[in-house]
Amino acid sequence: MQDQPLLSVQHLTKSFGSLIAVNDVSFAIHRDEVLGLIGPNGAGKTTLFNSVTGLYKPDKGEVRFKDHNITGIEPYRICKLGMSRTFQVSRAFPTMTVAEAVRVGAYNRHEEREVEEQVRRMLTFFQLEKFASKKCEDLGLALLRRVEIARAVATEPELLLLDESAAGLNATELGELMDMLKSLRTDQDITLCIVEHVMKMVMGICDRIVVLDYGELIAEGNPEQISSNERVIEAYLGKRALQ
Amino acid sequence: MKPGFKKLLPLLILLVVALALPFAMLSNQYYLILLTTVILYATLASAWNIIGGMAGQFDLAAGAYLGLGAFTSGTLLIRWNITPWIGMIAGGLIAAAFAFLVGYPLFRFKVREVWYALSSAALVMVLRVVFMMWEQVGGPTERYIPFYDWSFYHLRFRSYIPYYYLILIILIITLWLNHRIRNRKLGYYLLALGDNEEAAEILGVDARGSKLKALMIYAFIVGVLGGVYACLYGFIHPNFFSSTISLEVSILGVVGGVGITYGPLLAALILVSGRELLRANVGGQLESLYLVIYAIVLIVIALFRPQGIGSLLQKAWEKLTTRAAEE
Amino acid sequence: METVVQNMINGIMMGCIYGLIALGLSIIFGVMNIVNFAHGDFVMLSMYCTFWVSSLMSVDTVATIAFTLPLLFIFGILTYYLIIHKTLRQKYITQIAVTVGLMTLLRALAQLIWKARPRALPDSIVRGTIVLGQYTIMLSRLSSALVSITAILLVSLFMAKTWPGRAIRATSDDLDAASLMGVNYKWTFALAFGLGSALTAIAGAMLMTFQQVDPTMGLRFGLLSFCILALAGLGSTVGLLISGIIVGIAESLAMGLWDPRARSLVIYVIFVLVLWLRPRGLFGRK
Repeated sequence: MQDQPLLSVQHLTKSFGSLIAVNDVSFAIHRDEVLGLIGPNGAGKTTLFNSVTGLYKPDKGEVRFKDHNITGIEPYRICKLGMSRTFQVSRAFPTMTVAEAVRVGAYNRHEEREVEEQVRRMLTFFQLEKFASKKCEDLGLALLRRVEIARAVATEPELLLLDESAAGLNATELGELMDMLKSLRTDQDITLCIVEHVMKMVMGICDRIVVLDYGELIAEGNPEQISSNERVIEAYLGKRALQ
Repeated sequence: MKPGFKKLLPLLILLVVALALPFAMLSNQYYLILLTTVILYATLASAWNIIGGMAGQFDLAAGAYLGLGAFTSGTLLIRWNITPWIGMIAGGLIAAAFAFLVGYPLFRFKVREVWYALSSAALVMVLRVVFMMWEQVGGPTERYIPFYDWSFYHLRFRSYIPYYYLILIILIITLWLNHRIRNRKLGYYLLALGDNEEAAEILGVDARGSKLKALMIYAFIVGVLGGVYACLYGFIHPNFFSSTISLEVSILGVVGGVGITYGPLLAALILVSGRELLRANVGGQLESLYLVIYAIVLIVIALFRPQGIGSLLQKAWEKLTTRAAEE
Repeated sequence: METVVQNMINGIMMGCIYGLIALGLSIIFGVMNIVNFAHGDFVMLSMYCTFWVSSLMSVDTVATIAFTLPLLFIFGILTYYLIIHKTLRQKYITQIAVTVGLMTLLRALAQLIWKARPRALPDSIVRGTIVLGQYTIMLSRLSSALVSITAILLVSLFMAKTWPGRAIRATSDDLDAASLMGVNYKWTFALAFGLGSALTAIAGAMLMTFQQVDPTMGLRFGLLSFCILALAGLGSTVGLLISGIIVGIAESLAMGLWDPRARSLVIYVIFVLVLWLRPRGLFGRK
């Protein structure tokens, strides 16, 4: 039971017309770890994410979550099973308030009677009480990110996928985000998988890292191994320098 | 309980007025008919709000569900003397079943709303043809419901007044349903879907299921109204599957304010009365004139005040309730 | 068997005209994701315009295209700027509402002005019939079909070779990319609307060579074009023509072999089946 991975991706391939975005990628996420998914721009990270979370249907391969085959099933069913995610380009609910947005997530596991309580719990944990009645479209970037995470966590997932949550944040906001994610892991018992460009965050909180380049998995290991991996450095050379 | 009571006060006043109105018009049959027509459309439009306002689907099938309800209830009454009290529930269920059939393929994730709108419009036309051709149940001539002076069992009355009160009850239930859906899970889910369908889905919102629920509730209400409609008019005819009624209901819903609970009621009060007054004064020659006006109003509202006239009501309401809270 | 083939022949010819009408709708939908609910009524409008131009100026039905084409083109552009443009930033339901309103307006106005009395034109230059064995082919229908096919091919060429046409295609494919390459999307939208509407002028004129017009026709042509659009999917002009022919044959067979009232039934069934089984359409790319 211990070595049964929480999420297992096998030979996943997804193409758009003649462009192969993800090519035969296999990896696993184990309970209680923080997995980082990195790679240069266009490496296929978001496509991989979307294929795992049900927004795209993979051409080939299988995705298993808690030993259920979830390949290509509707996203809401994946959420019900215990996986949730955030988006790279914010998919906020523009006309809803922060509390309402979190409430939508809370309904995943809570009935009408307990939902208010769950919303309150989430707002407190993410320090959003002050902004509870503010409309999502009026929020700044860092707060918006927090709300996106809050509403995803409200669904009480066992696995949370974060798509570039650190992009555009300043040093203070980044620090707050990292602390928040660490406490998600310890207090809420959530396994994390983060897609990131911001190396500080990747190196700071990830136990294991998986590297994508041109749709293929080129390296896997812990932060020290990855930062000294030649292929990885080569992939980034000329596009971005490793910080 | 005091501040809560203050909030409900305008509604209670409205209710009392609504209950008392028929008696003010006892002498004038015309106004009574007008009143009943207005409240019928108000109920149809308030039900439409559930699928149009909350689920964001431009439904053009009100006539389909109305007709199905009318034919179910009417046929059960005419053939087997089954009371419309049961008949209208049966009508509602059949309408909901049809709605499910139409909605199921069209509410799939990522299918655009426009296909549902077109499909619903086509449904009305097709059902009309089907019932015209279906000699045993429909056919081109009216099928009359037996006339009674005052029969609760047959839901037949000489006067319009009992029908008015019955529809009023259904209206109140519909408004209550609107309120209840909006403030609970389904309402939040529908709102989220409207704001961003992908984000809603990954938070566990079943897009198709939620929309279908809204659709079936709406179709059920309209089906039940169809049962009443048949008894009100005293006959059933395939023309009940009316594209015009469907259009009018959706216009009332949009003009009232997509998603604003009392908006359609207000729109019905203004537009339907206006239509009837126009009809009375101008007559059959310019029948289509009211449709021209409806269409212009729809376009103007859509362009310049998409929140609908109901939003004005909402603002007035907020002013009223905050003043009450301050006292 | 004889009737079947005769009906099929008629169906193919009508299908070509339907395909042309659907093409107009498809251009608009492809570019800005708006289904013009009033499209069928644009056809009705162009038929009435044909009637008036022909009667007032004593021109042959077919020749009226010279007048009605620019007329409908301008009408389309005006519709875009006055009505559609503002709604693009609104919720989708508002966009639907506005074209539904336009449809209601046109239909009700037509009923008001022209009453329910159908109008018809005297025979045009394309009159008479050809007889091929046991089958009769009305010249008016045949020429309508040929004109429609020609128009479809010309539009195809326009979209492929000319700059405005390619701009329209680019905008349909990817609005952002097209904007980056300097295509003014507002202008493209207006052009697409104008072009889509102008095509109805051709169809309308040809229809008047053998049909009469009344205010309720908008409904019928609307349903036909939506069905063909759904069947064809987006991206292929030839696909539209083929889908038009399929629908034309289906309608013709239903009317001839079953019941003339069943025509809308068949169309609807096709429509629903397509949406259920293959929402992308037979030839669609999206």
